[in-house]
Amino acid sequence: MQGNILLGLTVGWPFAAALLCYLTGRFSKRMRNYAADLSILLELLLFASLAVQVWQGETVTFEAAGICSLGICFVLDGFRALFGLLSAFLWLMSALMSNEYMKHERNRNRYYMFLLFTLGATMGVFLSADLYTTFIFFEIMSFTSYVWVAQNETPQALDAASTYLGIAVVGGLILLMGLFMLHHLLGTLRIDELYEAGKKAWTEDSGQIYTAGALILLGFGAKAGMFPLHVWMPKAHTVSPAPASVLLSGILTKAGLFGILSVSCNIFRYDPWWGTAVLLLGMVTMTLGAVLAVFAVNLKRTLACSSMSQIGFVLIGLGMAGLLGEENQLAVRGIVLHMMNHSLFKLVLFLAAGVVFMNLEELELNQIRGFGRRKPFLQLAFLSGALGIGGIPLFSGYVSKTLLHESIVEYIHEGGTVLGSTGFTSFVELLFLFCGGLTVAYMIKLYHALFRNRHPVRQKEFEEQYRNYANPMTKLTLLLSGAVIPVLGILPGVTMERIADSTGTFFAVHPLEHEIAYFSFVNLKGAVISVAVGCLVYFLFIKKTVMVREAPGCYGYKNLWPVWLDLEKKVYVPALTKWLPSVCAGIFRIPDRLVDFIILTLKETLYRPLRLQTESEEAARISRAERIRGRMESHKWMTISLSFGFLMCCIGIVIMVLCVL
Amino acid sequence: MGENTFLVLPVLMPVLAGGLLLAVQKHLRSRRALLGYFLTFLILHGGLTILLGIWCLTEGEYRYLQLWQLMDGVSIALHTDRLSLLFALFMAAVWTLAGIFAVGYMRKEEREGTFYAWYLMAGGVLTGLDLSANMVTLYLFYEMMSLSTLPLVLHTLKKEAIMAGLKYLFYSAGGAFAGLFGIIYLFGKGILCDFSPDRTQNIQAAAQSDPVFYVVIFLMILGFGVKAGMFPFHGWLPTAHPVAPAPASAVLSGVITKAGVLAIVRLIYFVVGAEVIKGTWVQYAWLILALITVFMGSMMAYREPLMKKRFAYSTVSQLAYIMAGLSLLNFYGLAGALSHVVFHSLIKNALFAVAGAIICQTGKTKVSELRGIGKEMPVTIWCFTLAALGLIGIPPFAGFISKWYLAAGALQAEIGVLRWIAPAVLLLSALLTAGYLLPITIHGFLPGKAYDYGSLKKREPSLWMVLPIVILTAGIAYFGIWPGGLMELLTAIGKSIL
Repeated sequence: MQGNILLGLTVGWPFAAALLCYLTGRFSKRMRNYAADLSILLELLLFASLAVQVWQGETVTFEAAGICSLGICFVLDGFRALFGLLSAFLWLMSALMSNEYMKHERNRNRYYMFLLFTLGATMGVFLSADLYTTFIFFEIMSFTSYVWVAQNETPQALDAASTYLGIAVVGGLILLMGLFMLHHLLGTLRIDELYEAGKKAWTEDSGQIYTAGALILLGFGAKAGMFPLHVWMPKAHTVSPAPASVLLSGILTKAGLFGILSVSCNIFRYDPWWGTAVLLLGMVTMTLGAVLAVFAVNLKRTLACSSMSQIGFVLIGLGMAGLLGEENQLAVRGIVLHMMNHSLFKLVLFLAAGVVFMNLEELELNQIRGFGRRKPFLQLAFLSGALGIGGIPLFSGYVSKTLLHESIVEYIHEGGTVLGSTGFTSFVELLFLFCGGLTVAYMIKLYHALFRNRHPVRQKEFEEQYRNYANPMTKLTLLLSGAVIPVLGILPGVTMERIADSTGTFFAVHPLEHEIAYFSFVNLKGAVISVAVGCLVYFLFIKKTVMVREAPGCYGYKNLWPVWLDLEKKVYVPALTKWLPSVCAGIFRIPDRLVDFIILTLKETLYRPLRLQTESEEAARISRAERIRGRMESHKWMTISLSFGFLMCCIGIVIMVLCVL
Repeated sequence: MGENTFLVLPVLMPVLAGGLLLAVQKHLRSRRALLGYFLTFLILHGGLTILLGIWCLTEGEYRYLQLWQLMDGVSIALHTDRLSLLFALFMAAVWTLAGIFAVGYMRKEEREGTFYAWYLMAGGVLTGLDLSANMVTLYLFYEMMSLSTLPLVLHTLKKEAIMAGLKYLFYSAGGAFAGLFGIIYLFGKGILCDFSPDRTQNIQAAAQSDPVFYVVIFLMILGFGVKAGMFPFHGWLPTAHPVAPAPASAVLSGVITKAGVLAIVRLIYFVVGAEVIKGTWVQYAWLILALITVFMGSMMAYREPLMKKRFAYSTVSQLAYIMAGLSLLNFYGLAGALSHVVFHSLIKNALFAVAGAIICQTGKTKVSELRGIGKEMPVTIWCFTLAALGLIGIPPFAGFISKWYLAAGALQAEIGVLRWIAPAVLLLSALLTAGYLLPITIHGFLPGKAYDYGSLKKREPSLWMVLPIVILTAGIAYFGIWPGGLMELLTAIGKSIL
């Protein structure tokens, strides 16, 4: 073991704390909650102390050779520090919220244990200095987070959990295949060596590198919620406990993105083909997520689809970073900041959703509409997240979206082409703005549902009985997580710019030459277009079709999304569990029985025992059966005959060997 | 003779002890006395083997003991090199643990004494097999092993058990005869089949002069491959495992099958030499058969409702991983295969032990009946889960390491398009492995909201059963996280023969 042991501890400590919490929980539930909160707080402080060292310019590394054969190594740089801190912060918020949220649930010990396990694994992913380490912790993370999704054990939860696990396993194996190939081609998996090693390999065999890259992209993309392995996202987020949804959507998707980034910023640095592929996948993911979110009539499902869509935004930035080549500062800054922002938005939004579910045990918009009326605190928190994700100026989402948008604009100015046409580039920009508009539209839908709409029956009850809808601890988490967003958004130069600067080394990006005037007219224009599109979509489409007016000020929601249009149910599940196994098993049953069949056939034909002629068949059968039974009862025959056979066999072999030789 | 006589001790002692137990078991009045006798010799056997291992590793590893000169150049002899030590050590460890598990499991069974007696004998024979110094000795012990493990399979003496036992015997004996035929052929060519590090050089000449040579080698691979469950002669595994008592199926799958692997390693890497068959049709045929087996085993396991039979098919598939690794004929393939020998042995023993514990405590044999089992036997099912993750190859558990090496070996081998297909098949099989193992955990720990917690009874098995399972699981985790020592040993083996 070499390097800073504290860095190793940031990964190891949560695993130890998980077991501690579990043991504590066997004795006292209360103590367990405190223990979990405290251990995460400790983790946050520990990590912060290391992050400070990094910001002062030191490099912090940790290496444990020989672990899992190739050894694991961690390194801390600005980007990793940012996401490590963000993880610890989100985990803390989530754990604080869990205390109240999980109060009436079963199997809470299990929940807390896996909460902490996953924290350790996620830290391992974000700190990893080579892809081997990334993979190890990525797999641990996939499996431990499975328990969150299944936590409720309702049929829906178990179904969603199976989907989650299936995608995790499939994604993991695809990723592993990619890593096999990469390791074979480059001879190293160290992230900082990939670029140099890749240079050599590119000249030899670019096709194989692309194949390896595609497999890795698909594997990590499964966790990031990238099309086509996105199917787990809407299902899993909806059923898992809200504090867990926060982490699934806020951090775990980023862990997938981290993997994608570590490959694309090194081997595929400035590679236009890679950029195009990521861009196209990003466009599909972004649009699909946004459209699904517009149609969704479930609070958490809308948020989950929104997560997918936002990941699409990040992927578009990544595609642009590849296409722009060395001039990709804007895109890279956009990626980092949007990833960070999205984590923060989803934190506050899922926490708000959690507050609703905690009180009503319901998430369907029809059941919860109007719940937020006369709850100004909840409303403010939700609004901060909604405005942030919508990209409204003065909220942090505006900054990152502007950067991403600017990178596309820059590419258009350069006359850059996607798939060989400049028109397509403009189309990317339009789609980007349009999906930004859809984001605004579905957030208006949610806001209206929770805070403006009225429940036809229970409205009075909502407003009076649920006055104490959350305990002070939960309110504190809402406040903390909600307040960050405008602070970042109002002072982008002081906060977000610096954050982006600190992450430059990971991306090997050149420093930015000029200041960005975020609140200039040119940049505001994009936001205005998106908001305008959003309002149009909301008033002209959502309000007309998805929502149904039932009474003045009271709207219902109907699910227009066709049930049959489900990639998972139509293609993935039958293909993996029905078609493929039954076909393959049918085919392989033949070789499986081949030899047995031959032997049986021989036995029935060539080697059929001769019947005794003298006795009648019946008598022979009976006497034989009796003889056998007699022997069986004595129990001796087996040992005697076997020992005898054993002896004879040995003698026979010896004689035979002697003769032959 | 001299100090090397010590080699014969871990072989002879358990055999004699087992024979004695057969003779005197009628006179052992209490179960306590029987267990005392069995455990003493079981642990003595394990201890002696480990002592032998430590002695050889510290005082010079190569030792040779001739027992009986048959004729010029052919003798019955024992020796130790790194490979035999590796096999002897892990087999002794696993054998002892499974024996302790048997004490817990066999409590309710009849004819306990007979089982223990044969178990002891088979243990001794296995050590002999590991230590054998040439193909003739190996063959001798190989046959003796088939015969001495047969009573373990047909222990219950039910009709299916006897039929399965016979099937096992015929498959094994048939395979071994193919091996014997090969040994005689090689002897005719002047190849003495010794495993000494300095090989005789008649092989190249024989290979070039006689096209039958490759056929013979292939037949020998097939023959010894019967024990290792390689397609097309894997049929005995899914028949024999479900009927045998759980400790017997555990060692059958975890240890006995590895004897076939050892025989093939000895044959290909020590007698024939890897470079002789590298690039020939034998290598391709071998690899393709292994890959078919990998996929077929997983597929059949995925469709199999009976728990023990499912694990048996899983063994077929996992052993084929080892075969595929061996057939690559390079260092990474060999290292992956040999490490998988150890890991699979630990994992499959743990899995079968868990199956045994479940059957013993609840009487349930089908996978679909196991809903909520994790709530009843949490420690056992936790161990099962970790072992299952190991088998799928999820880091940081043991199976991941061997899979990494196997894939690296496949990618490096010069075998055309198969170098891409082989890792893909391994991963596809891993997916199926997840598909047939994880549902047990999932339904076991997550019985659903409707599960009646009120009628929940803790049914954790006795310490005799739990302890070996926990130790095996700890081993799986240990070797997954710190495989360094094992890998060093494998590197040394690889260097000496490649």
